[in-house]
Amino acid sequence: MTTQALEVHQLRKTYRQKGKLTEAVRGVSLMMLAGEVLAFLGPNGAGKTTTIKMIAGLIRPDQGWVRIAGQDPHRNPQALRLLGAVLEGNRNTYWRLTPAENLEYFGVLKGLSQQAAQRRSLELLERFDLLSKRRAPVQALSRGMQQKLALAVALIHQPRLLLLDEPTLGLDVEATESVKRLVREIAREGCAILLTTHQLDLAEEISDRVAIINGGEIVAEKPTDELIQQFSGSAYRLEVDGTLTPAQRTKLAALGVLFQTDQMTYAGKPEGLYEALAILKPLPLIRVEKDQADLTAIFLKLVRDGRDA
Amino acid sequence: MRELFWAELKRNWIQFVRYPVEAISGVVITTLIFYGLFLSARYIAGPNLQFGNRLDSIVVGYVLWTLVIFIVNDIAIGLQIEAQTGTLEQVFLSPFGGLQVFIARALASLTLRLVLMGVVLLLILLLTGSRLSFPPSLLLPLATVCLGAYGLAFAMGALALLFKRIQSLLGLSQFFLLFLLGVPAEDSLQGLALLPMTPGAGMLRDLMARGQGFDLGLFALALGNGVGYFALGLLVFGWAERLAKRQGLLSGY
Repeated sequence: MTTQALEVHQLRKTYRQKGKLTEAVRGVSLMMLAGEVLAFLGPNGAGKTTTIKMIAGLIRPDQGWVRIAGQDPHRNPQALRLLGAVLEGNRNTYWRLTPAENLEYFGVLKGLSQQAAQRRSLELLERFDLLSKRRAPVQALSRGMQQKLALAVALIHQPRLLLLDEPTLGLDVEATESVKRLVREIAREGCAILLTTHQLDLAEEISDRVAIINGGEIVAEKPTDELIQQFSGSAYRLEVDGTLTPAQRTKLAALGVLFQTDQMTYAGKPEGLYEALAILKPLPLIRVEKDQADLTAIFLKLVRDGRDA
Repeated sequence: MRELFWAELKRNWIQFVRYPVEAISGVVITTLIFYGLFLSARYIAGPNLQFGNRLDSIVVGYVLWTLVIFIVNDIAIGLQIEAQTGTLEQVFLSPFGGLQVFIARALASLTLRLVLMGVVLLLILLLTGSRLSFPPSLLLPLATVCLGAYGLAFAMGALALLFKRIQSLLGLSQFFLLFLLGVPAEDSLQGLALLPMTPGAGMLRDLMARGQGFDLGLFALALGNGVGYFALGLLVFGWAERLAKRQGLLSGY
């Protein structure tokens, strides 16, 4: 069995709008393994949604191909059995139906038998904490519960790949935490999750890898830690409680420590850091922190660089 | 496909009965409109008018017309509502494919509609005192009319996929449908039998209102007509789905 959940090769899509050609996606390639969470980030209009819909078989690419666990969703509709999706700006469920009725209906629509859909529906209602609301019409549920239901519906047929387009948009803190927890759990069970979001702290927290798209092209694709590492400096910020003696300042300066108003920066060799800490002894330490970039700063840098290029 | 049909029937039924006032008012309004038409005709003609055979024809024509209007609008309106409420893309993510899902939906909503029309028909007969003959062979020409109507419905659905809002066209089509169902293809020009649904509608008039026997030749013509238009409708819908996917038109209403 292949562990590759998704392979996307050189996708291209051009639209004609008011007689003008717009290249929405220009040669996008991606690869995802089972159980991996890929944060697919980009500014509005960068080509994220078009790419996701090409992966889902909803938009046909002009060039390139998609394989979901080895199957092509554009040629073989059975490939859609391997795919679940929660699409942004959509309700994704029927509001007059209850959560249980929605799950059973979509289960059959995804190719399960009626009995299997019923069985799976109960499991998911319990797991997603919706059992108490299983008989309430969806329109009577809170936004957070509706989103959890949309997620449950996308998982009814146990897909190998889950596409989540802005899964936490408009959710309160508690519901966002709940969605985060579910995403991690689903990934641990072996489902690959491709996630788009404008909440970069969320992407940083739950993704294994990040791909940033800008102007229809992938401008960065790396494991999340590696990308953050790449954009992070090697300097350490030090903060102590108390005043340094002139002797301490001299020794620290000799090591290359720079002094700011309320903190110091050490940018030398890593082993030199311990020498600096020894010099600071016995002043109480408030902070020793490696200069760390966050995904928001990296995203903004890459997108601005792309715009200026 | 059988499981999908039952799932669609269940979904249709639940959506219909979840708000009972809406469901019952639909049946009552359809019945009252016809009763109003009947009373107006009697008022204008005076108490001496004997409708007899003609009343039966009016009943058959009205019931058939409302059924066909429902069928022809069914897929296009369903598509527009689902696009607005955000479930359309999920439907196209089904491994059954859009066309098969919409065929199952058409069968399910037709089943529910036929039950409702049966209720309306009974109410109309009770209100007007009209008596109609119901030979079982009636179902055959009815099926050919439904096939033709679904052919047109899939073509309208194709237009809804590509052009989004086609309410004005659907409104106008009601008068065209009245013409198609009323045109006496059975007693006049043979060319008219090539129009959608006309041979089946003529046969229904013969069987239900005129008490004539089952004409095998006319049925063969009606069947060919129904199957032909249904197949054409499916082809057009399939083509529109492919075009919508190429142009990224499945969402964004």
